[in-house]
Amino acid sequence: MNSNYNMFHVEVLPPRQDAEDLEVRLDRFAARYKRVLEAGYCACITDNAMGNMSFQGPEIIEEYNLPVETDNVMIHLNTFHSKKDLDNILKSCISQGIKYLLVVSGDGNIRFPKLKPSDIGVEGVSSVTAVELLQYINREYPGSFISGVAFNPYEPEEEEVEKMARKIDAGAEFVITQPIIDKNPVVDRLISSINIPVMVEAWMSKKLHLLSDCVGYEIPEETEYDPITTLSNLQSEYPSGGVYLAMMNYKRQFNLLSDISINAGGTK
Amino acid sequence: MPGGQNKMKIVVCVKQVPGTTEVSIDPETKRLKREGVSIEMNPFDTYALEQGILLREKHGGEVIVLSMGPQRAELTIRESIACGADSGILLNGRPLGGSDTYATSYILSQAVKKIGDVDLVICGKQAVDGDTAQVGPGMAAHLNWPQVTYVSRFVESGPKELKLERMHESGSDISLVELPAVLTVLKDVNIPRIPTLKGRLNSRKVDITIWNEIDLGTDPEKIGLGGSPTRVVSTRKPDARDKHTIVLNGNASESARELVKILKSRIEL
Repeated sequence: MNSNYNMFHVEVLPPRQDAEDLEVRLDRFAARYKRVLEAGYCACITDNAMGNMSFQGPEIIEEYNLPVETDNVMIHLNTFHSKKDLDNILKSCISQGIKYLLVVSGDGNIRFPKLKPSDIGVEGVSSVTAVELLQYINREYPGSFISGVAFNPYEPEEEEVEKMARKIDAGAEFVITQPIIDKNPVVDRLISSINIPVMVEAWMSKKLHLLSDCVGYEIPEETEYDPITTLSNLQSEYPSGGVYLAMMNYKRQFNLLSDISINAGGTK
Repeated sequence: MPGGQNKMKIVVCVKQVPGTTEVSIDPETKRLKREGVSIEMNPFDTYALEQGILLREKHGGEVIVLSMGPQRAELTIRESIACGADSGILLNGRPLGGSDTYATSYILSQAVKKIGDVDLVICGKQAVDGDTAQVGPGMAAHLNWPQVTYVSRFVESGPKELKLERMHESGSDISLVELPAVLTVLKDVNIPRIPTLKGRLNSRKVDITIWNEIDLGTDPEKIGLGGSPTRVVSTRKPDARDKHTIVLNGNASESARELVKILKSRIEL
């Protein structure tokens, strides 16, 4: 990423489509988004996270006329879209000055369409993954985006490294890992083997069952887990990369971020 | 065509159903428990809705969403409007409750008659809570209109007739149907759109028309529990399937070999 890649990247979840108190949740999203930007961090807006049908970041930014600072906004983009919706999202990003994308395969849902290889002019594969989506974005919108990809240190390393090579070939310019809770040897090996920035993800929620879902093994609920300590440790272990903050509690945790590192934004 | 020279007046029937993993039946009443469970639009109806919107985009006209159910079914109508339907009508009234598929299709067909000049009624192939697939055909019978069920593709749509691909057990047919008609559609027919934020916000401002049994002029003998010729007299849960998980710990090629071995042994059994 650019010179700012080591700032805090703070996840902001858009409201779900079925929210009954939609206006309240939209206002909350807008407030959190602005708060992240005002703190000098990067606001990372998820795309139907965990298969929950939610609104798209660009449409909320447009509807609420929210500010966009190119280096401080990142949109997640997954493969569960129709071609028409995909292009609408990408065009909306361009028109609003959003440049950073995190391109992932994503989580499905019975209501989501899934991109087919033929939709994006790909042959020889049975399904669209982040690799094909990246290729499409770089082919159809050359120079418009700086795209990152995900890395899962909990999957078999050999396959993940091979996938990463294909993602980089497809145009990935930075990497964000799945949540790690300490120094991780698989992530360390990745960092030393590729030439693009790697951000590690810190799990900021105390909901360990969700973290268990992410990492793919059971973390007992009674485990003592302090997200702020974890974040602090990750900052120390990975000082040259950025940290992505997933599932952050804006009430209790946000104000503590500025104490953790002078290298993680907070310049405003 | 009743709706105009080329424009189509399309009615799409949608049903609010419990989240598919949360369906349970009240042992006393033998009816679906709807309280305290998440609700959503019947997934098959999203394809019906999309098809209505696509036809309107092609021919002009309007898409009217029709739903029978409790007051909260209004949410499903609003979701339909957020997707692109023009208006919605909720059929709601205590005497309508407890209707079986025969009575329900009678009530819905009365609404179609009241709307007037309708060219086409589109339903999902079935609702995921009842799984009967009877309401669409029932409406066609009550309206005395032709019907095409299990539509998987719109081959051509003209102002007076539709050319449709219809799936069945042994393959598919191409059928021509004159309008007005009733269709039930499969999920192969299109890719339903996701509501936009703008659409969702606009849908919250739209007035939903509510009709009760008096507005519809229904025959009291043909609606509700009393007007339903069928009764659910007993229900039981399906037997739990014997499921277990096998974790293959080897590398990719070892795991693949092991998996083939397991699958072969299952086939032999």
